[in-house]
Amino acid sequence: MKVTVVRGGGIAGMTTRTQLDSSALRAGDAQTLSSFVQGAALGEGAKAPPTSTPDDLLYEISVEDAGREITQRFNEGNLPEDIRQLVQWIDSRPERSFGVEG
Amino acid sequence: MPASRACCCFIAPPDLLARLATEGSPEQREAAVRTLSASAALRTQRTIVGNLMRQTDVPVPKLAGLEVANGRQIVYDNQHRGRAFLPGTKVRADRDRASPDAAVNEAFDGAAHTYDFYQKAFKRNSVDAHGMTLVSSVHYSTGFDNAFWNGAQMVYGDGSGQLFQVGALTKALDVIGHELTHGVTQFTAGLDYSSQTGALNEHMSDVFGSLVKQYHLGQTAAQADWLIGAGTLVPALGKALRSMSAPGTAYKGDRQPAHMKDYVDLPDDGDPRHDNGGVHINSGIPNRAFYLAATKLGGHAWEKAGPIWYAMLTERLQPDSEFADAAKASVDVATKTYGAAEVAAVRDAWHEVGVDV
Repeated sequence: MKVTVVRGGGIAGMTTRTQLDSSALRAGDAQTLSSFVQGAALGEGAKAPPTSTPDDLLYEISVEDAGREITQRFNEGNLPEDIRQLVQWIDSRPERSFGVEG
Repeated sequence: MPASRACCCFIAPPDLLARLATEGSPEQREAAVRTLSASAALRTQRTIVGNLMRQTDVPVPKLAGLEVANGRQIVYDNQHRGRAFLPGTKVRADRDRASPDAAVNEAFDGAAHTYDFYQKAFKRNSVDAHGMTLVSSVHYSTGFDNAFWNGAQMVYGDGSGQLFQVGALTKALDVIGHELTHGVTQFTAGLDYSSQTGALNEHMSDVFGSLVKQYHLGQTAAQADWLIGAGTLVPALGKALRSMSAPGTAYKGDRQPAHMKDYVDLPDDGDPRHDNGGVHINSGIPNRAFYLAATKLGGHAWEKAGPIWYAMLTERLQPDSEFADAAKASVDVATKTYGAAEVAAVRDAWHEVGVDV
């Protein structure tokens, strides 16, 4: 399972990509990631609302698992709590990759 | 008025209140509608309040005699708990002593400097021109790489150390001025936060954010660095978030254009890569126009160029205004207020970035 968090907007307007692949994790941590993803119940095709508040952070969360990919977008104002917990857990993992996109 | 009706939670996040107003018990619904309508920050959002009143059947007379928080500013600690706990725990109000927490004091002082700037340069009493209490929350969420205006208050993250330096966002006075100016724009021109009108909204926040800093430092237009958020990014990424004098040079990968021929057309589709239709990208074009006008007019930028842009924002622009409308408005204001040399400086500045006026 691979989870990708793309963040953009915000005061900087910069796009960042954070990725965590469960193959890089120990079995227990991979199981935790899987539980977070299941709890977050990402749905395909949903979109962030068309308007944002100024400098709102925009999110795109993608999960690739067993040949399937699910992508969903949010902004800081409507990010569900279970997705926020998933993102924070990924941010806390030393195995994650992080980069600024052009 | 019973104590329970005192308005202690007026800065609770509008989305939480909206949820309560539609989904809560009858008492919660009434309290939420009352709070929403009491919020000074939501005065301009009467349609939202009107809709909620219709949905929840709270009679208009019950909304009379509302209280709002007093004082110039309050800083709260979100304690890393995120949106559902905004604003957080109150840590410093007007007459309180300095906190042991640097972020609290920086947010407090930055809001005070911004208030003073608007008061002294433009005789404006707070972001809504009616003395609205400036509310800030620090330590939002965990390692959060952003600062934003949520329609009612300022919110600051600590930074992750990967994008923003830890603790840097409250240290940058122009960032604080930028966020509060989003409030000013909300209460005046109301520029939509999308595509070119959104870039104009961003431009206004950069202009007055930079002027708050220049005013505080006593700098002339020639002395100013014209950077936004200098020193907030981790050094490996770049020196600042934006350069008003040389758009596109603030950090590695900075996509800001300095001329209309390089305008970046992006959809406003919720994709984080598209930045609400390039609002932080195309703001480079009017940003450079302001820099050119301010340096040509000379002296302190808040004394000549600033008042032209302030009149434009507060008296001339509309929610759907674009760069050409801003250019025309600024030339109109300069014509009304100053002489031929000033009008030429403003017109030339817009021409140089490819906006005809």
